[in-house]
Amino acid sequence: MNIRNRMAGTALVACCAFGPAAAHAADLPPLAHSLTMQAPKPAPALKLKDIEGRTLDLAQLKGKVVLINFWATWCPPCRREMPSMERLSQAFKGQPLVVLAVDVGEDPDTIEAFTSQLDTMPTFPIMLDTRGRTMQSWKVAGLPTTFLVDKQGRIVASAIGGREFDHPEIVRAIKELLRK
Amino acid sequence: MRRLTLTLLAAWPLAALASEPSIDPETGLATWQAETRGIQVRLTQISPDQIRGFYLARGFSPEATERYARECVFMTVVRNVGGAPIWHNLANWRYVSADQPPRTIRSKVAWEHLWKRQGVSESARIAFTWAQFPAIQVFAPGDWNQGMTSYSVPRGGHFDLRFVWHADGRTHSGKIEQVRCADEHS
Repeated sequence: MNIRNRMAGTALVACCAFGPAAAHAADLPPLAHSLTMQAPKPAPALKLKDIEGRTLDLAQLKGKVVLINFWATWCPPCRREMPSMERLSQAFKGQPLVVLAVDVGEDPDTIEAFTSQLDTMPTFPIMLDTRGRTMQSWKVAGLPTTFLVDKQGRIVASAIGGREFDHPEIVRAIKELLRK
Repeated sequence: MRRLTLTLLAAWPLAALASEPSIDPETGLATWQAETRGIQVRLTQISPDQIRGFYLARGFSPEATERYARECVFMTVVRNVGGAPIWHNLANWRYVSADQPPRTIRSKVAWEHLWKRQGVSESARIAFTWAQFPAIQVFAPGDWNQGMTSYSVPRGGHFDLRFVWHADGRTHSGKIEQVRCADEHS
């Protein structure tokens, strides 16, 4: 491996995993804005520590609508959609909507190296699924995958692949859930 | 499964899709794309150095990293561009390179066994597993996903990929032709 290529490879990982190369080679699929609604079913347990070391338990969020996003820093669409999660979180500030990100297999330093590059640092909790066990119990097949949980603690919608979370279509679906 | 494979192989030429790659002017890496009957499949070359950079940074040993960098690896994107749910099973996909019979894509499970034998750490194996394209996944309309798929094809070699998916209770297949493995110094 020559030095130029090694540096390029290192920069690629440090910055954007495979995102830039793929994005430049041909535009990546646009972030979608649909949610797949489904018959409500009880959400699996989700109790993890966040990057600050605080334990968060989904069971204690009943009465709130919760958007749960499974991701990793090396997953290009995950990185692309994260700013829209923060915008969504800010748009619903003061309302009973909780946005949660669940990172798989990475440590807080790695995550913060990524989030510190964002124009706006995420203010929502980023939880650590260090060994990927929670993702398995949620039957996540690929990253990113997002679930919407209603006030009764039931999964009512999901999305596979990157989304623009503050798109009006998704905002409308969340508002409807909040009204229920 | 055998019957399905034989049926699809027989039908392969009918579903062939011509595909000219687009080239990234910055990196020179190429992308092939096919879109047919509600599915879009895209393969973008990942260079061996990108593979090395990615996996070394995730705790792979140089030896294990080189093992994977020997493969021909593509960022693979599948998108449901139709109106009905679709699903795939990578075990049904086949690729054909010169003078070789159709081969299956090496599964995440097979890689996992190899990495365990090579003593790759659990955290590195987790990163590897989730960075690969899902073995089986259902895509609702609008859903999409991406991940790596790997092919045992020499650097600069070509292959045809037959992708298989299911929708409305039926099995479909399409083909991307003359996909080219990235050069060592892409």
